[in-house]
Amino acid sequence: MNIEQLPIINLLLFLLMALVIPLLKRKPFKITLILGFIVLGLVLISSSYLLWHVNNKGVIHYTFGGHEARFGIEFIVDPFSALFTTIIAGLAAIIYIYSSGDATEGIEKTEYGRYYVLLFILLMSMFGILYTNDLFNTYVFIEILSITTCAIISIKRKKDTYTSAFRYVMMNELGSLSYLFGVALIYMATGFTNITLISESIQNAFVSYPVNIVVALGFMIIGLGIKAAIFPFHIWLPDAHSAAPSTSSAILSAIVIKVYILVLVKVLFRVFKLDILNEMNISTILLVLAGVAMIMGSVFAIAQKDVKRMLGYSSVAQMGYILLGIGLLSFEGLRAAFFHILSHGLMKTALFLSVGEIIFYKKTRKVNDFDGMGFIMPVAMGVFSIAALGMIGIPLTSGFISKLNLGVAVLDQNQIIFLVILILSSLLNVIYYLPIIILAFLKNEKYRYRLKSIEPTPRTMIAPLVLLGVLIVVVGLFPNQIMVFIEAAVNSLLS
Amino acid sequence: MWLDKIVENINYIGAIALFVIGLRIVVTHSNLIKRIMGINIMGTGVFLFFVAIGNVTGGVPPIINPNVDDQLFINPIPSVLILTGIVVVVSITVYSLSLVVRIYENYKTIDQKELSRLISEENDEH
Repeated sequence: MNIEQLPIINLLLFLLMALVIPLLKRKPFKITLILGFIVLGLVLISSSYLLWHVNNKGVIHYTFGGHEARFGIEFIVDPFSALFTTIIAGLAAIIYIYSSGDATEGIEKTEYGRYYVLLFILLMSMFGILYTNDLFNTYVFIEILSITTCAIISIKRKKDTYTSAFRYVMMNELGSLSYLFGVALIYMATGFTNITLISESIQNAFVSYPVNIVVALGFMIIGLGIKAAIFPFHIWLPDAHSAAPSTSSAILSAIVIKVYILVLVKVLFRVFKLDILNEMNISTILLVLAGVAMIMGSVFAIAQKDVKRMLGYSSVAQMGYILLGIGLLSFEGLRAAFFHILSHGLMKTALFLSVGEIIFYKKTRKVNDFDGMGFIMPVAMGVFSIAALGMIGIPLTSGFISKLNLGVAVLDQNQIIFLVILILSSLLNVIYYLPIIILAFLKNEKYRYRLKSIEPTPRTMIAPLVLLGVLIVVVGLFPNQIMVFIEAAVNSLLS
Repeated sequence: MWLDKIVENINYIGAIALFVIGLRIVVTHSNLIKRIMGINIMGTGVFLFFVAIGNVTGGVPPIINPNVDDQLFINPIPSVLILTGIVVVVSITVYSLSLVVRIYENYKTIDQKELSRLISEENDEH
């Protein structure tokens, strides 16, 4: 086997797994679960190996069918795509272990198989989006991703999931078509869909067809902005993420919207390049969007009574942080944004999974019902508290490091106003996260008598939660080990 | 003068007109099925735009004819790309129509305004 074929084998493993699940319908469900876990483990190992390989030995190019890049589809594994596929595989494995612990609440037993089919196709499309070096191929993978996410939202046979899934489909499709329109305009001006070839000829195209390039950039930013839930386009997110089963909320909020922002990063830095971006002053537009998102997302989150909706709005604010880092268009900014993608992925997964466990046993989603929950479910609330403190940006957690990096990056570009917004947004985070922790651990001791009556939690649900809590602290304490890979990824984008 | 320009670019103008019509339907109509049709119209606009890029005036389909030398071919790549795009939009349409069926079974309406009223009433009861 050739090392070049490893990314294709990753995709094929996911697809084969999705194909095998319906065939195992008559066998006990445990076999499917174990097989799926083996697949995820293999993919995690191979993507970590690819990460090591590209950082030490060089970038891997693969063209399908041996056609040269201008006619065929090209896959590139570079520090950027290898890093994020590894992160996605790791997070997906953690969420997978949790979901096997019977936490697929609200899904009928006969539909467990279908849930996992969708999950594996979803992972396949995300890997494809990151590996591919072709704008049209990205569009195809984006559509696979959006149709599977919508299906995963509407998998519960409940009324409200259908309406929120419908709204998600409509918004998503607007986004995809805008993106495709942008691709068409770029193809018109340059004659390529391959990203490397476009980036070589875009400077000339910008001189001869400036309107095409400007309109294409606008369509692509708006299209991917809708999908990544950047502030004015976020309206579908809270409904969709709170209606989905807890494990899929974790996947959607922690991974899927990040993938879209990574596509945006690819489009901005690989296709258009810094010269054009600076000439059109894209930086200001992105920074304003980010600043508004950071404030408004948090303000909306304060008003929520449903804890999952609150987490959804918090995601909107956190996407603002990531966009702020990207909008600075500098090395430090991108580094902070990428680190925040990792740390927000860890923290949001921990929050959604611990809340999922609480919903699973206590059947409550109201913030006010969290009184004394720390005595009833110590592990779930403990992990929730660690992740919430990380969201606020308390030292020792990964959230602190990403906010520190963001602050440094903002000061580096002399954008003092955004430092103020950053601190203000953190304070708003305090307003909606801290009361939950205080309610859970310090208030209402009347629930203490229930301590013995709680159901024993399955180990498969506790273990991933503890792992996430530990990871948040470890990444917060030793960020430099990961920073090496992140800096390599940023360098591969900016060179 | 400007009439010539319009005639020259009639494909692009038509494509953008379709895109905008579709966008308007998706954003303003409250009937869910009409909104799905709006998505389809929008998609058709983008596809027409893509195919129009590949058009070469006086070109023939890229099939080599041994009897004629020096043929001018149209660019086939956009058409091929759009085949994929059509399949994608069809699958999105099927999925969203099936969602509308489920919504109709549960709420007995496919009107967005009616739906929001029903949902907010339900939330008030709880």
